[in-house]
Amino acid sequence: IILSLIVHFHLFFLPLLQFKEEISRRFKAKQDQLVLIFAGKILKDGDSLSQHGIKDGLTVHLVIKTAHKAGDGGSTSASSSTSTQAGSTSTSSPPTNPSSTTGSTGSAPPPTQTPNILTGFGDLAGLAGLGMGSANFMELQQQMQRQLMSNPEMLSQIMENPLVQNMMSNPDLMRQMIMANPQMQQLMERNPEISHMLNNPELMRQTMELARNPAMMQEMMRNQDRALSNLESIPGGYNALRRMYTDIQEPMFSAAREQFGSNPFSALGGTSESGAQPSRTENREPLPNPWGPPNSSNPSESGAASTGSTSTTGGTNPSVSNPLGINPGSLGNGMFNSPGMQSLLQQISENPQLMQNMLSAPYMRSMMQSLAQNPELASQVLMNNPLFAGNPQLQEQFRAQLPIFLQQMQNPEALSVMTNPRAMQALMQIQQGLQTLQTEAPGLMPSLMTGGIPGIPTGGGLPAENPASSPSTAGANPAQQQLMQQMLQMFAGGGGGGSTPEVRFQSQLDQLNAMGFINREANLQALIATGGDINAAIERLLGSQPS
Amino acid sequence: CYTCVVSLHSLRMSIKFPRSFRLLEELEEGQKGGGDGTVSWGLADDDDMTLTHWNGMIIGPAKTVYDGRIYSLKIDCGTRYPEHPPHVRFVNKINLTGVNSSNGVVDIKSVTALSRWKNSYNIRMVLQELRQHMMMKENNRLSQPPEGQVYSN
Repeated sequence: IILSLIVHFHLFFLPLLQFKEEISRRFKAKQDQLVLIFAGKILKDGDSLSQHGIKDGLTVHLVIKTAHKAGDGGSTSASSSTSTQAGSTSTSSPPTNPSSTTGSTGSAPPPTQTPNILTGFGDLAGLAGLGMGSANFMELQQQMQRQLMSNPEMLSQIMENPLVQNMMSNPDLMRQMIMANPQMQQLMERNPEISHMLNNPELMRQTMELARNPAMMQEMMRNQDRALSNLESIPGGYNALRRMYTDIQEPMFSAAREQFGSNPFSALGGTSESGAQPSRTENREPLPNPWGPPNSSNPSESGAASTGSTSTTGGTNPSVSNPLGINPGSLGNGMFNSPGMQSLLQQISENPQLMQNMLSAPYMRSMMQSLAQNPELASQVLMNNPLFAGNPQLQEQFRAQLPIFLQQMQNPEALSVMTNPRAMQALMQIQQGLQTLQTEAPGLMPSLMTGGIPGIPTGGGLPAENPASSPSTAGANPAQQQLMQQMLQMFAGGGGGGSTPEVRFQSQLDQLNAMGFINREANLQALIATGGDINAAIERLLGSQPS
Repeated sequence: CYTCVVSLHSLRMSIKFPRSFRLLEELEEGQKGGGDGTVSWGLADDDDMTLTHWNGMIIGPAKTVYDGRIYSLKIDCGTRYPEHPPHVRFVNKINLTGVNSSNGVVDIKSVTALSRWKNSYNIRMVLQELRQHMMMKENNRLSQPPEGQVYSN
């Protein structure tokens, strides 16, 4: 599986030229007859696949221009698609993986072989490159790639080579070699999961086994698929998970082109040792998960920071041309805003039943628990996520949000809300109301975005009229409270405000504090309820107190 | 949990931002090679969070004057997409009815299949219908400018 990581490495570093070389061989056409198109762009020779964001599972169109032009009506641009599925299946045998072959006007070249090549050279280049030491890694890599491109059988030969097998059966050696690779080191720095993986001898051994035995690799993939197909029994669940899986790959990869630690295959490695693996969802556990619980060690700081950052993001008012109101750094939802994610999200949103099904799956629970228990992991990942890198405020913001959310997740009440389709529908209605609100008062949106996530489960619990109940579920954590207040404000329909309640009412809160009303939570609620009117708020507070 | 965060967020996003969701789906489809391989589309700039500017590509259909050519297009999905059609223009010079010969701008109403725009139409359809348009009798024999020329805007 580690090799899969390396495959991706190489695939991305591979200049287009070599890709084209191989294709030209495969399709028996000259290189200058080949035109590669991806997502509406022509790939130029100097480009690399990664530069265009071409990732595993995506489709590159190949057009072969024949010498004959339209004049004589001869067979012309045969258009076919090859999917760049690298590393996902075995290398030595022609892959049976489904490549997105599309109909073509001309001949239908066997696209499945091309991914094989890529897979082949990828794996081998990785192996051999490592084997030869890290010094000339890049050149070696290139060489190997070239060789491999010209001779796919080489891979199987090499795999058969006892030396290689020997090497591979020695996990320590492999680990050393891998770690000697500076890029790998970088990668490991960024993604502790990889080092975990590497440091786990059991895992390494299994990986080596797998790498050595492509058939076994396929077998494992099939196991995964079988497990995944179990999910098919959940209506719609399978598709969602599948898309989610793929879609998560995308944001993961786009987080940093060279950052492969988030390669879902690393998850495969992580789960292989646990034996029967129910689903890919669980596999994501070892994935660097920026959405996992962040480091909860300093909630107060993050709480304060989150307030600050909220008002910062609040500064980006949506405009007509920018309906998302997105300031690119702002919504750590950078991940959520990624294409694939969004489409998945929409799918899920269209099917509230899906949520219920997914939630009721047993592995969900365990995943949640383990995520909750593993805050360092997520915080590290969070820090490493380049999306966040330039925006520490965002990080703080998320740190603040997620523990809340996580707690709520574990709150059985919240859970039951989410598994209750009617409750979800009610939530959606609230959302719709919010949307209307938004069109009426665009300035609200930033606070919606930031406060929304953790607020929702609570929102489900509270029918939006009872502000008092929700903070109780959140607990005494000041960060949580603040976010709760944001939610409250939104639900209470505070219109027109571009900032969060705490910010708006900061001075009032201070005054109340000074007067001896030390219950910040209650103060804020009162202020919200009275729209910032201190006197009225005081009356409320006094009225709610027994004496 | 990740899923939950994802899904809950999606709930909110889907309700608020139908345009973005639509475009994101289209982005995904474009990357996965939607259509039949004769058209391709994708975001012009990966950092374009508004998902407005797109590249499109049409492979000239066989047995027409457009055969053997690969046409690049610029497609802009405005804020009212998909309720309103996108703005489309050719990058490569082309002689085709409905396409402004000086700047390549496509008059979408002149493409019959797109003239009555519905919000279920998408970028893929635009490209495919333009391609079909090329195959129509009135178009498939128009003499074309030399290959490789582009409009100057």
